[in-house]
Amino acid sequence: MADETTTPLIDKNLMFVVDGRSQDEVFQDVADRLLKADAVKPDFLKNLEEREKNYPTGMDMSVVNKDYPNIAIPHTEGQFVNTRKIIPVRLKQPIEFANMISPDQHFPVGFLFMILNNDPEGQANVLAQIMDFLTNADKDQLARLFNAEDTQTIFDILAPAFN
Amino acid sequence: MTVRILAACGAGVNSSHQIASAITSEMKKRGYNVKADAVMIKDVNAEMLKKYDIFTPISKTDLDFQTDTAIVPAGPILYRVPSMAKPVYDNVEKVIKEKHLK
Repeated sequence: MADETTTPLIDKNLMFVVDGRSQDEVFQDVADRLLKADAVKPDFLKNLEEREKNYPTGMDMSVVNKDYPNIAIPHTEGQFVNTRKIIPVRLKQPIEFANMISPDQHFPVGFLFMILNNDPEGQANVLAQIMDFLTNADKDQLARLFNAEDTQTIFDILAPAFN
Repeated sequence: MTVRILAACGAGVNSSHQIASAITSEMKKRGYNVKADAVMIKDVNAEMLKKYDIFTPISKTDLDFQTDTAIVPAGPILYRVPSMAKPVYDNVEKVIKEKHLK
């Protein structure tokens, strides 16, 4: 296994622009691609879905900036993944998620930062790094990220911030 | 005296660890000695909570058992926006003072 401390969090081959119409469709699509890339184990999808249902991960970005779309940070236990990565997923069609901090509330989400983490104790917290980026990044740059039509645009914006 | 805090989230991987470390460092700044652990919320039970003074889940959680441990929902800390985190830290500090944990 590669040395986790030197492996970049953002991988050009592990980011997606998807067109799914529901959470199920998007999770299925992304999980299939992650499995082909050997980034996750076969049980990943089932556990991701179950965890999102019981402990949702939507985050209301209007508290950071009302112009930003809401995001979600779907993830599951380390035993179902093979690496430590952030998987950015631009949703061409916003899909509904429940709010992590008040699960009764639902809202549309336009961008996912899926977290694959097989080493929760290691290094700086991945979720903290994502939120620090979103709360501090240049607004125009974030607008380009949230509207990205291709993965190259996503990579060019996120790689300098995370790798 | 050390204040014992238990953070919990769905997967026990990301959110709970962030909450545990943020509360530990903020409470240290406020002059309290805190020891925080992070677990998966489905593993939390009455027996486990007996060992902690304060339980800090992501959202208001309905536990299916009784506990004397104080509960402070801590999800807003995850936004890394100081104005959202402060009320959570204030609530934790309030419990520490009320229970004379220092």
